[in-house]
Amino acid sequence: MYVPSDNTHCTNILLASHGTTGACAAEQVALNLQRDRPLKLHHLIVVPDFWKDMLGDDWLNNAITQIRFGHYVESQLEREIQQTIQRVNTAAESRQIPYSFDVMLGKPTQCLLQLAHAGRFDLVVIGSPRPKTYPGLNSHLEVETLQRALPVPLLIIPFPQTDDHHPATFSTTTVDAVT
Amino acid sequence: MVYTQKHPALLIMGILMVALGLLVQFGMMTEVIKYLKIDKSINEMTTLTYIFGSIAIIVGLFHLFGKHREGHLDYYLSTVAGATFILFIAMVIKWFIDPYVAVLSKSFGPIMGDKYLHEVFGLNYVVLGILAGIIIVNVFGIPKWAENGVRLSRLGLKTGVILLGTLYSLAELQQLGGLSVIMIGFFVLGSAGLVLWMGARRNIPNSMGGVLAAGIGVCGVSATVAAAPVVQAKSVEIAYTIGTILLWGVVCMFLFPMIGKMFDLGPVQFGAWAGTGILNSAQVAGAALAYQPDGIETLKVAEIFNITRVLILPIIVLWLAVWYVKREENAPGVNLIRVMFEKFPIFVLGFILMFALSSTGVFSPAAHDHGKYFDNNLPVEKLLKEEEVNLIQSELNTVQRELHKVTLGRLLENKKIMSLDDDDQIRGLVNSGVLSKPVNEILKKAHNSVFRTAPKIDMFRKWITWLFAFGLVGLGMQITLASIKQAGGQPLIIGGTVGTLKAVLSLVVVLLFVRETI
Repeated sequence: MYVPSDNTHCTNILLASHGTTGACAAEQVALNLQRDRPLKLHHLIVVPDFWKDMLGDDWLNNAITQIRFGHYVESQLEREIQQTIQRVNTAAESRQIPYSFDVMLGKPTQCLLQLAHAGRFDLVVIGSPRPKTYPGLNSHLEVETLQRALPVPLLIIPFPQTDDHHPATFSTTTVDAVT
Repeated sequence: MVYTQKHPALLIMGILMVALGLLVQFGMMTEVIKYLKIDKSINEMTTLTYIFGSIAIIVGLFHLFGKHREGHLDYYLSTVAGATFILFIAMVIKWFIDPYVAVLSKSFGPIMGDKYLHEVFGLNYVVLGILAGIIIVNVFGIPKWAENGVRLSRLGLKTGVILLGTLYSLAELQQLGGLSVIMIGFFVLGSAGLVLWMGARRNIPNSMGGVLAAGIGVCGVSATVAAAPVVQAKSVEIAYTIGTILLWGVVCMFLFPMIGKMFDLGPVQFGAWAGTGILNSAQVAGAALAYQPDGIETLKVAEIFNITRVLILPIIVLWLAVWYVKREENAPGVNLIRVMFEKFPIFVLGFILMFALSSTGVFSPAAHDHGKYFDNNLPVEKLLKEEEVNLIQSELNTVQRELHKVTLGRLLENKKIMSLDDDDQIRGLVNSGVLSKPVNEILKKAHNSVFRTAPKIDMFRKWITWLFAFGLVGLGMQITLASIKQAGGQPLIIGGTVGTLKAVLSLVVVLLFVRETI
């Protein structure tokens, strides 16, 4: 298990998670770090910037239909973000962990690096990319870039063990730290 | 918010355009023009560059040195930079890159029958323009100063379709309309139904099935955009569907013209096939122009199919809304009138208006000399030569239809086309691809000797070609790899299966039942 090298009272954790299975596993581990020492959890949720181009090459629709679609997608994404924030916040509150969050639009890796450099964090926690057979958006954190550019240690949580017929389960014994 | 950016790009593009016009006008590019065989474009190369170059210089100076304040003027003038950017790329591709690719391709010799590499792969200004757009957005990104204007490409395409209305006769519209209603009706309903059926079998959520059925069944991204809010699609479902359709559309834009050439499809056949089989409406226009870049017949057919699709869209969205409400307890109510009103494509009214105006003869007045069918004093060089007559005679046996044989007989006897009906038959024969390339060239020459397009209609044709080139380069700039990379999951499996089935079956139907003459 990762132990921060300094002697400050609280460990400031930056958690990058957006509600996917891998990210949920990262949330659990980040919250469970409380067992070792007090935590402050800052949650980063990135809305990938490919959504800006999701109107694609539509040219047939009237402006009103395109505007309605834009509003609908925005509200969908907002709902999903609120659900993620709500879930992590509730879990943090139950463990009495101070919780804060940031929502950013852009490329996930760049957003994480930007926030990690701007804030005073001791550890960054992220989930693993989903297996190819697992459904989800094609937008993930570039681990190599993060390893090179992050100013603090990085904790990558392995993707939960799954099988075809059961929801994902997560084992806390398989935590891996990259510094 | 002030949209105009103080950037020299627009001014530079304007200066480059005018400089190009001057170089061409004063004969400093004669060698290049000769090498690329673009003599036909000289007139365009001077007029278009002067007109749009001057506008770009004036607005560019204002962008750079003017004071900009928030308001309508600022917003509309800010779009000039992006629009000029697209136009400049379209000009460079249409006048230089496309001819250079043709010269290069011809240097390799024919690769499939008598067809060259660029003909087989449909590498012309349309495809190259879309490719250029895709490369620019994905490699360099759209410059900030051009972002606002790039959106105008949609307006370019819609204006192109509206102007296209001037080129149809009532008989064409009736027959193409009837054919498109039958084919689109069958394949749209069939593929949408098949997606819903497969979706139910593969246990995908109703919202995903609904949005996918619209996208795969009707007109691709446009239908997805229209249907997603109605069937309450989740964000990941929207991303999957749009990614799948974009991927499929780009692949089809290259594949369809190649396959069309392999089967020697005529403009009507190819237009009908592309208009039915290609999922995404933008790529229908792209493939049609890629198939026949120097004429507009294929585009005319394909766009009728596109218009039929978009007219069916509100009905399909309504059907999906009702289908979804029946299956989901928490589905919101559907306002039928609002759906029909919002989804109705207003630009189709413009198309109908232009068609109606054209039918009154306003663009082709009665005094206009339609042709020289009855003119027996045609100069000798306009008549068929002896060796041309012999060449046509040598291939008479390959012609199956009696009417074509009789028409060819009259042509050989008089050495010129004698009536409008004969001209229609000859064009149909050329389009059918039954005869060899040299004979088709002779027949085209015979048509050009007697047929004369009204000047206004001719002008519309040129404008339409440019508007589509402009629109498609701009649309290429809106196809990002990040969006295409979202293709996956069940939508890719279901969409791939139904899309392939639709493309293959529509090709079979076209080959069996669609004839070349309208």
